[in-house]
Amino acid sequence: MIGWIIVLVVLTAAGIPAGIGISKLNKEHAEARNVSLNGVDFNSLIDGEYTGSYEGGMFKWRANTVKVIVSEGKLSEIEPISGVVDQGKGSTKMLYDRVIANQSLMVDTISGATLTSKGYLKAVEIALSQAN
Amino acid sequence: MISPQPAHKEQTSMGTIMSHKAFGMYAEDCLDAVCREVARLESILSRYIPESDVSRINQNAGRNFVEVNPETFNILARSLELSAICDGNFDITIAPLVNLWNIGKNSFTQPPIREMKQVLELVNYRDLILDASSKKVGLSRPRQAIDLGGIGKGYTGDCILEIFRDFGVTSAYSNLGGNVVTLGAKPDGTPWNIGIQHPRLVDSLIGSLAVIDRSIVTSGSYQRFSNDSLGNQFHHIIDPATGYPVESGLVSVTIVSDNAMTADVLSTALFVMGVNRGMELLMSFPKTEAILMDSEEKVFVSKGLKGHFQPNEGIEYTILE
Repeated sequence: MIGWIIVLVVLTAAGIPAGIGISKLNKEHAEARNVSLNGVDFNSLIDGEYTGSYEGGMFKWRANTVKVIVSEGKLSEIEPISGVVDQGKGSTKMLYDRVIANQSLMVDTISGATLTSKGYLKAVEIALSQAN
Repeated sequence: MISPQPAHKEQTSMGTIMSHKAFGMYAEDCLDAVCREVARLESILSRYIPESDVSRINQNAGRNFVEVNPETFNILARSLELSAICDGNFDITIAPLVNLWNIGKNSFTQPPIREMKQVLELVNYRDLILDASSKKVGLSRPRQAIDLGGIGKGYTGDCILEIFRDFGVTSAYSNLGGNVVTLGAKPDGTPWNIGIQHPRLVDSLIGSLAVIDRSIVTSGSYQRFSNDSLGNQFHHIIDPATGYPVESGLVSVTIVSDNAMTADVLSTALFVMGVNRGMELLMSFPKTEAILMDSEEKVFVSKGLKGHFQPNEGIEYTILE
């Protein structure tokens, strides 16, 4: 049962439509892996509310929009507006909580691999880049 | 004098995405050298490149000994040592099984049992014969083959650390598709913060590790799983003893060590061996620690990581004394 859940979660997460070629799928994944997240200086954020949208890659699978609130120079809230599908067990909320707790979009690097979360973090970055 | 701007490079090699970051006067040149080194190692260690040492050994299985690069020879010798220490739970002659399951391709299916039995007999690291005097290597039987997928990236990580040092870099990391090596601390003196990917939640970490001068390798059953027409789910880590994807009760193993090659091998071996036997094996490796997650998502952390491991929200963990 858990096996099916995992497979379903992954297929949903990747949003794989029937009939898309594997080579295109690989291309999309490679693109997602290569999304860079380093454009925000968390030390100089200006208070305010900002929205950010990430276009979601070649097939728009990871398109999403978020609103962020900066108060007292710190990122205090991330609110999904559209396109954010929780990856199970509130994990997307945990992702946002980690960003707020660390005042950083990333740990330095990850042992393991991740794709969709990067798309979500990209929208946060685009929103926050307006606060710099 | 450390330059404030780090150099950063990404490359695709060894079937994965690699990312390197270094601080220092010669960081840019250093990362160029790192990328060249990775490409060089792939060209001798990959079994998907027909001219590589490994491919030539495989092509001549059961027929001839082949002369290899002294470096290849040393990696193979160390592989055999580690296979013996791990009691065969890590075995570089697993290639025929990996082929049978079609791992590394886009789908894999459960092989017929009769075929499985035949192929399973081909997996035995003792059949890889090394002749130290002539630096020649051979496999005893036809159709046998080696695959350095469980050790090659670790070895590469150790080589990258040496290149960092050669260029006077004192603060850097490389992430070789989830195998991470770190050199020194961050330029501000704080430890590197390494996330440990959650094996089941795409967007989540098990937690993070604060490390200086350590290699971190994670083997998880999250990678490359697939389901066949019957709805069975498989992952990519095959038990050399049974021929089937490992069912040891573990879904993720992270090894933290001062040696990336050892960390790479142990992450696979512990995954196969499970918590109890795995932790026993770990005792024989000094300066080597582990973070394990079982199928009920309980996390076990070896005691040397106390104070270095920060669990993610909602993750409960036990320190193994």
